[in-house]
Amino acid sequence: MALLRSTYGTRRLAVVLFALLLAALFLLPGQSQGLLQILGGPFGQILSLPLEAFSSLDRGLSDIWGGYVALRGVRDENQQLRKEVEFLQGQNNQLREAAVATERLETILEFKQKTLPETVAAQVIGRDATNWYRGVILNKGEQDGVRVEMGVVTPAGVVGRVVKATASSSVVLLATDPNNAIAALVQRTRDEGIVEGTRSGRARLKYIPLLSNVHPGDRVVTSGLTDAFPRGLAIGVITHIEKEEGDLFQSAELEPEVDLAKLEEVLVIRAAHEATDASRKMMQNLPGEKKKP
Amino acid sequence: MRIFLYTALVLTVVPIQTTLLNHVSILDVRPDLGLIAVCLVGFFGGELDGLLLGVILGWSQDLLSAGELWMNVVSKGGAGFFAGLAGRHLAHITPTVLLIGLALISCLSSLALVSSMKVSDWDVIWHAIHSKILIQGILDAAVGTAVYGLFMRRSVADQMAIGDRY
Repeated sequence: MALLRSTYGTRRLAVVLFALLLAALFLLPGQSQGLLQILGGPFGQILSLPLEAFSSLDRGLSDIWGGYVALRGVRDENQQLRKEVEFLQGQNNQLREAAVATERLETILEFKQKTLPETVAAQVIGRDATNWYRGVILNKGEQDGVRVEMGVVTPAGVVGRVVKATASSSVVLLATDPNNAIAALVQRTRDEGIVEGTRSGRARLKYIPLLSNVHPGDRVVTSGLTDAFPRGLAIGVITHIEKEEGDLFQSAELEPEVDLAKLEEVLVIRAAHEATDASRKMMQNLPGEKKKP
Repeated sequence: MRIFLYTALVLTVVPIQTTLLNHVSILDVRPDLGLIAVCLVGFFGGELDGLLLGVILGWSQDLLSAGELWMNVVSKGGAGFFAGLAGRHLAHITPTVLLIGLALISCLSSLALVSSMKVSDWDVIWHAIHSKILIQGILDAAVGTAVYGLFMRRSVADQMAIGDRY
């Protein structure tokens, strides 16, 4: 064991290198992080190969677990799901009626637009490498058009936003992380606020006006005020309202619509701002809309 | 030989940390395999090896984490360096010493990470200490000592096999 230990020269070299590293990172933080980011491109691509391999191994093991071992309780779950299907079929009929009415109105206004702007489908291949952030790693990166600050969703609702992207992978900060903030509004009352993550892994809608009559069960959706998400994407359902005497605002705890612990495939919104611009132009072209110089 | 070992460590530890290790988390906290590897290399390989492996492993962890790009570079590099220093000053590294050393380095490294996040609320810091830092310290120490025990048993078995041959 003693043979493995470093000699005096290497020890001195280690001290110097460590001091240089600290000096570079604290005195020139922007430049050194920029350098790490640039070098991270090719290194990230190399790292993505074993990452993909381990991810497929993980999926394989999960499939075996899910298919053979974790079948206990499936009968109860099946019965519950049948009930849910019946309920959803009824709801689906109502929605179909509403969709027909909406289509008619859209035809009248000649205002047809896709629900979501251009998106990139990506697979979740891992979780954040540390215990300090709630994040997931996607198998799509800059070479697929994924950029930092893009929104990430599933058909059920909002997942989070991209905070880091290498050539072939990207890191998404989930909506339940305390460092994340998404502009949102309560669907029923149209009161706006900011959705932030909590330490317990849920989300909280902050800055709701005191006079708002929000109550548990209200749905919270994106307000479209930022480029990452278009308006109207589901974020969560209010479970609890907090209103304290002397506070200027009230806040509400949310149950996220998306089960963020079981994410597999997601969509990265590439051009929310492009869609917003397009809709604005179309609105301006509508008869009766005055064009501003 | 060492460079191949370290390259293999970098290319396997971080992918395992982000994929397979999610299934073995306790109270939503996973052991930090990167830190364990860096500390063991530091303890037995010296400061320079610990520092260099720590910087590279920390950097690759930072690339796959939502945090800033320098946080793990500094904390893992520092952990490797101090593990090397500690290893040099200890005449004989026993499992108990390793267990305590790993727990201490893990807690200090996590505390450094929390302080770099510029958290001013003591409530948040206290929550981080009892819900993450202490649990991670215990996990890192346990896993690191188990890995060390496995390697030592293997090397003793190899030595016995060589002894039997002659």
